[in-house]
Amino acid sequence: MAKYTNYLMLLPGLILCVFFLIIPTAIILRISFADSVSTAEFEIHGLTIENYVKYFTAPQTLNILVNTFGTALLACLICFIVAYPFAYFLTFHVENEKLKAYVISLLMVPFLIDWNIRTIAWIPILGDQGIVNSALMSLGVIKNPLNLLFSRTGLHIIWLQTYILFMEFPIYLALARIDPELIQAARVLKAPPHRVFYDIIFKLSLPGVICGWIFVFVCTLGDFLTPGLWAGGLQTLGLSISTYFGKNVWPYACALSTIMIVIALVALYILLKIVDIKKLIYES
Amino acid sequence: MGGIPLGKAIFVKDMVKWYGKEVLALNKISFEVDEGEFFVVIGPSGCGKSTLMRILAGILDFDSGELYIQGQNMKGVPPHKRDLSLMLETYAVFPHMNVFNNIAFGLRMTGKDKEYIKRKVKEALELVEMSGFENRSPLELSGGQRQRVALARSLVIEPSVLLLDEPISHVDYILQRKLMEDFKILHKKLGITFILTTHVQEHALTLADRMVVMNTGVIEQIGTPDEVYRTPKTVFAARFVGDINLLPGKVVSKEEKGYIVKTEVGEFRSGLNGADLVGKKLAYAIRPEFIKVDDDAKACENKFKGKLVRLYYFGNYVECVFAKDKVEVKAAVPAEQAIKLRLDKKYMIGWSSDESMLIERPSVIEGLNIEEVIYGK
Repeated sequence: MAKYTNYLMLLPGLILCVFFLIIPTAIILRISFADSVSTAEFEIHGLTIENYVKYFTAPQTLNILVNTFGTALLACLICFIVAYPFAYFLTFHVENEKLKAYVISLLMVPFLIDWNIRTIAWIPILGDQGIVNSALMSLGVIKNPLNLLFSRTGLHIIWLQTYILFMEFPIYLALARIDPELIQAARVLKAPPHRVFYDIIFKLSLPGVICGWIFVFVCTLGDFLTPGLWAGGLQTLGLSISTYFGKNVWPYACALSTIMIVIALVALYILLKIVDIKKLIYES
Repeated sequence: MGGIPLGKAIFVKDMVKWYGKEVLALNKISFEVDEGEFFVVIGPSGCGKSTLMRILAGILDFDSGELYIQGQNMKGVPPHKRDLSLMLETYAVFPHMNVFNNIAFGLRMTGKDKEYIKRKVKEALELVEMSGFENRSPLELSGGQRQRVALARSLVIEPSVLLLDEPISHVDYILQRKLMEDFKILHKKLGITFILTTHVQEHALTLADRMVVMNTGVIEQIGTPDEVYRTPKTVFAARFVGDINLLPGKVVSKEEKGYIVKTEVGEFRSGLNGADLVGKKLAYAIRPEFIKVDDDAKACENKFKGKLVRLYYFGNYVECVFAKDKVEVKAAVPAEQAIKLRLDKKYMIGWSSDESMLIERPSVIEGLNIEEVIYGK
């Protein structure tokens, strides 16, 4: 009897998975092999691999792929570089637990603001007449305003603001969980400060780091609105998908979606291979 | 350069450590440890012994005073540049490294070559009887095995001083006995200085060449186990090392052979100890194993009649508690004699004046009332 209740507890998750993940994905997969879809009646016609052939033979394909994954990985790196020292400082140099909680919760503020407002709010800061450009110009550092907003720089600034939380949280949690006595033991065992950091603190925080990378990677990969609006013509896979859906070319859009899912899964698999604890250990 | 403690493994003078502004963890403590000595720091939890170990290792700073290790001033010297090793109470085995890499850690940090590391780790594992465990994860090991890994890890870097923070108390009794023996053998074999903390008197008395009794940041007494046991300087030291009966009393007169002390249950004699104690309030102390009961007590110089109120069976002896008014006296009675004793009956108990001790000070902490200290706990 107990066994059945255990399975019963799986049910809500299972229903969610089937109806919101497996079935939609299967539909996308099916449409990606279709000739055409009449969107009004939702009728799928034909069975072909032409969509994929078209994609892989298109001249801009490689470029878009590199753009997509390149920007997503770069976003991860930027978030990581900003988040790690911050989390480190918070863990090891702030003693007031309440203060830590406040600071961490401040990172959530961007999520309390509507996407449009949050994005538009950058205009007075990074726009041509924004604070940064005005300041730099009045200081004489630059003559003409820098194109900060409608560029990759702008994209990464906005992504950093939006997604740093997903990097910060897992890293902070991983760092906070490190037993301080391990650090003390390493220090007594002749480890100079940089080795204490690398061999103990960093390695023990790796699960959090990888987790943060996965979160930010997935979020930025799927975000086509921000690059579409700000990145100044940067072509990404997400943007292509939204464009083709917009043009009602569902089969091709679905083929692109499938490709994106496959690549993302492969990337996650590789990342999860790296996080394997045994791989963190010295080669002996 | 007078006063630089050459030839001492550890030299601590007037060491003060504050935690924040309120907690005084170490209150001007001073002691020395000879090279090759087995030195035990004993005290209740919160007495500052772990703090002291961390300061010696360099993990914690101290606020004032002096610290020399192997004749070198340690002010501002980081832990990785000190010639010692510390095994922490929690062992702190690195969870993300296997046993081999845990032990090799210290050697890698000092840039030893691969062959050397391999050989040394192998030797260290043999020393702690853990050969064949190289590739195990610490997470798969038992507490005792983890401790041995931590010990090997501390020893493999060949420190001149090995600090062991509460290494014995967290295991079952049989293993404690084995560990004590192991540490003693290891100390003899290696010939380096051992400093061990414990809150269990048996460990200290058995292991120590010399021991220090600590109490909330101060040192109550330093000496060999025998000195501390036989001539405790304070009530605290007497009570913390071995069982003891303490009777608050006042010295009423001095005779040729000793003092007469007036206590609540009568006047008792004690041996002489040089100083003039007449008129002083102090503790008249006697260890339970020196108390004789019933017929054996009749010939004693000091005796009184007390009611047997409690019995504690310890196998090789029985602890009998005799009461007269508010005063209770414990006696360690051989089992064959104790079997004849009846609860709630009155018996004569007595002891020889030479076995008694007069302890003047409740503690090295000033301002304590001796009666309050004796009855307070």
